[in-house]
Amino acid sequence: MSVPIKIKKRVAGILFFMTLLLIVLAGRLVWVQLVKGEELRQKAFAVRFRNVEVKAKRGTIYDAQGKPLAISISTDSFYANPAEVKRSKREKEIAQKVAEILELEPDKVLQQITKEQAFVWIKRHVPEEKAQKLKTAKLPATAEFTATNSLPGIKSVEEPERFYPKGQLLANVLGFAGIDHQGLYGIEKSYDQILSGISGTIMVEYDNRGQEIPDALQKYIPPHDGNSIFLTIDETIQYIVERELDGIMQLHSPKKAGIVVMEPKTGRVLAMGMRPAFDPNNYNDFAQVNWKNFLVSDVYEPGSTFKTVTMSGALDEGVVNVNDRFYCGGFVQVGGRKVRCWKASHGSQSFMEGVQNSCNPVFVTVGLRSGKDVFYRYLHGFGFGKKTGIDLPGEATGILLSKDKVQEIHLATMSIGQTNAVTPLQLLTAFAAMANEGKLMKPQIVKEIRDKEGKLMRTIEPEVVRQVISVETAQQVMSILESVVSEGTGKTAYVEGYRVGGKTGTAQKIIPGGGYSTSEYIGSFLGVAPVNDPRMVCLVVVDSPEGMYYGSQVAAPAFRNIVRDTLRYLQVPAQIEPEKIANNLHSIELPSLVDLQVSEAVKILSQKKLKADILGQGTKVKAQLPLAGTKVVEGSKVVLYTSVPAAGAEPETVVVPDFTGKNIVEVKEEVKMLNLNFDIQGSGVVSRQEPEPGQQVPLGSTINLYLETLSEDVLYPIGP
Amino acid sequence: MRLKKGEPDLWIFFTTMLLLVIGIVMVFSASYYDTLENDPYFYLRKQLMWAALSFVAMLVMMKIDYFRLKPYINFIFAVAFILLIVVLFYEPVQGSRRWIKLGFINIQPSEIMKLSLVLFLAKKLSEIGARIKHFFTGIGPYLLLLGLVGGLIMLEPDLGTTLVIAGTACVLLIVAGLRLRHFFVLAFSGLAVVGALILADLNRINRIIGFLDPWSHASKEGYQLINSLYALGSGGLFGMGLGNSRQKLDYLPEQNTDFIYAILGEELGFIGAFLVVLLFCLFAWRGYRLALTCPDLFGSFLAVGITTTIVLQAFINMGVVTGLLPITGIGLPFISYGGSSLLFSMSGVGILLNISRYCSNP
Repeated sequence: MSVPIKIKKRVAGILFFMTLLLIVLAGRLVWVQLVKGEELRQKAFAVRFRNVEVKAKRGTIYDAQGKPLAISISTDSFYANPAEVKRSKREKEIAQKVAEILELEPDKVLQQITKEQAFVWIKRHVPEEKAQKLKTAKLPATAEFTATNSLPGIKSVEEPERFYPKGQLLANVLGFAGIDHQGLYGIEKSYDQILSGISGTIMVEYDNRGQEIPDALQKYIPPHDGNSIFLTIDETIQYIVERELDGIMQLHSPKKAGIVVMEPKTGRVLAMGMRPAFDPNNYNDFAQVNWKNFLVSDVYEPGSTFKTVTMSGALDEGVVNVNDRFYCGGFVQVGGRKVRCWKASHGSQSFMEGVQNSCNPVFVTVGLRSGKDVFYRYLHGFGFGKKTGIDLPGEATGILLSKDKVQEIHLATMSIGQTNAVTPLQLLTAFAAMANEGKLMKPQIVKEIRDKEGKLMRTIEPEVVRQVISVETAQQVMSILESVVSEGTGKTAYVEGYRVGGKTGTAQKIIPGGGYSTSEYIGSFLGVAPVNDPRMVCLVVVDSPEGMYYGSQVAAPAFRNIVRDTLRYLQVPAQIEPEKIANNLHSIELPSLVDLQVSEAVKILSQKKLKADILGQGTKVKAQLPLAGTKVVEGSKVVLYTSVPAAGAEPETVVVPDFTGKNIVEVKEEVKMLNLNFDIQGSGVVSRQEPEPGQQVPLGSTINLYLETLSEDVLYPIGP
Repeated sequence: MRLKKGEPDLWIFFTTMLLLVIGIVMVFSASYYDTLENDPYFYLRKQLMWAALSFVAMLVMMKIDYFRLKPYINFIFAVAFILLIVVLFYEPVQGSRRWIKLGFINIQPSEIMKLSLVLFLAKKLSEIGARIKHFFTGIGPYLLLLGLVGGLIMLEPDLGTTLVIAGTACVLLIVAGLRLRHFFVLAFSGLAVVGALILADLNRINRIIGFLDPWSHASKEGYQLINSLYALGSGGLFGMGLGNSRQKLDYLPEQNTDFIYAILGEELGFIGAFLVVLLFCLFAWRGYRLALTCPDLFGSFLAVGITTTIVLQAFINMGVVTGLLPITGIGLPFISYGGSSLLFSMSGVGILLNISRYCSNP
């Protein structure tokens, strides 16, 4: 007996069917394992592997002399592996220990270290001592558990932390790097890529419980350390600048103050400092506005310092000559509007004198004479309206009134530094071109890039942008600016022994929304030294000082100190001979002339470049004013009395001089010499006086002076 | 009837032994990391113990002439049926009541039923004769019984085993000469029941979602399948090497039971995985071949039933692991960890080997 054939057929059918199923399965295996295999393998790989970033060592930022300004130091950061913590079953003890050492809340620590994550930071950048303690912390043996020789699941990793050894010095330029060592502000930001290097990775294979797999695959790609940066900044000059800024803050309590020093021949920034500043080591303790580098990122209407640009263009174009005569009647009429001068009237003056006086009508006239095409050509030539291209983040372009909208009145106000807004750096860069034989240089802040071994990777060479004005014009501008310091409004910037040139500026601040403030000013000074072979140009900007606000008062003294100390530091030899220095301003000591023959006394005075004013008909000097030993400036008047006034006799008289336009310092000096008293009302400069100039008054009389805050370069808003 | 006893089918024997050895090795490889901290050899030891026991069971069944089992079949079936009821009184483990805990070992009654039902149906169908053509008087009672058994297993619940049992019964009925229209009625009503069962349970709906579109549900419904595919894909052609599976590191759930085939595919590659498919093909060929050469209907049906149970289950399991079928929750015969399954599969193989001794050797 055997199985019926029909059944056999059906069994065969089933065998066929089953085999078919298994063939389909094999086909599926081919698809999953061979066709899609690699793709699936990669996906599984991505799930299993976690990349642990190994930060490259961030490069150091050095000053031009190789002094470190920003360095990376290694600190310990602690993290927890919650899976491991929990496995020890002693979470509370661990949290307690960690909290104790790091001075944290035990409950919060416990919560952190038992999170459902593979990795949790506990605290980053832990100080050395605490880190050591935590690394060597142990758990004691208990009834349940044996002692451990470390805290289970608590691990440390070396993390670099940025350290700024000089604190606030250059802070706004350097910027800072954040907690993850990423450049956030300043040089740290703009050169982040170069400084940060390329991170390496450790790829670690994890199981699904968040534990590293024993003898797992680990791939290590080593980091490529960042390169170091050598700035053009010189720490010593920067220190001088910071010192002066502190001085300005102390004396004038301005809202902001900033100073830039540049090497005109190369465009290299030697120092750049500002207030408010911050300590990049603790940047979070400061308001965000303090982090800003406003010298690069903010614009202002520069006022009279901008007259250097007007002057350069006009001289270069030949529309004006130093000896051209101008008349200042206190204002100039432009298109039916009055542009006023800061002084009631400068009278007749040469262009040279006009610059010395910072006379608005002179510059307005010159500006109008240039015309808008010429004017704009030089504006653009000097780089206004365009970023200078310095390697600092957040540079502003400045605001130029568009040329097709420019009318005469605009041209007039632009000529005296209003209407257009520029960054302090733009202004200084343009000025540097005047000091560099007319060649505009691209301002630079970084000099060299070196790798970590110190091998030179890149040198940033000085870069000429264009020739803006001719060499001759530039020289002319320099000598005019020298006379501003020696004769004109910039006297307070005078530096003994060096030939210094410069221009003051006092601009009214623009009120947001339009118009000019009548209480807030920006006093500034733009200068160069030495004039014949410029080594440095410098801009000092003081925004909204309290009390005095003229550029000559708040900015020029700082400039003077910076120039003096910087040139000394740069070992620039003094140019003016010692005897000449002794003869110079403020340095003539009056000898005793009493009992000398009048003619002899006059001779002595004239030798010392002083003027004599003889009162009385005697032949011998009975008395002198100022008294012997007083230091006076060159050209001062010395009053010689040939007869001592007898009691009851007609008192001696003096001619009242013209005080208008003078400030208190100047008035005091003059009045003292004339033996007069004065009484002041108001503040600013003298606008009116009583008695009038030219009148004879007895010695010792009181002059009433009415002062107004119509001063120096301050401009009144243009009337309707 | 007195037949001459021949040699057992060595193909079946060696195929089975090879699968068993692969299984033991893979159970150890797949499980040791999971139990690394307590006892990495835990599953290996238990599987070895069960393998030894199963091997003995196979030898015993090989010795007992299959036709001598006939008088006990009703009893065996009854016991298996009762155990299916008893298991329902146990506490559920992971949501289903599949095990009867005897303290030292746990028994899975559905595994007993798988073999018992084959024995039962083989006996009944070999005696049914022409009544197979009649729906109510012929196959009706068996279908009813089948429905009861399926219902009981679904109460555990265990859809996978129910499907294997239903599939095997269906194959046996077809082989026995089921009318084509009856087959269609059965097939459609079967599909309807399965559809209804799936829709009745959110868990099963999720499994279908995870099956249809695993990548959009990678973290939940599709998680297990995706990790299974990761394992297979990582294996590639030659595999990552024995013991080197990464998916077994807690990524793939059920890595030593229902999804052991994925770990096998990862460690031994396509070559290993295909070898397993090939071995089951071989098993099917030799198993069904017995049915063709068997001296009697009972033996023939028994061979068909046992072979079908094992091969069908293997296909369903591998189909699930490779993403051809939705997840059902059954192990891979001889290879997955699990005592009852191994014991009764091997007992089945023992019966097959015994049958083979009576088949005319070509």
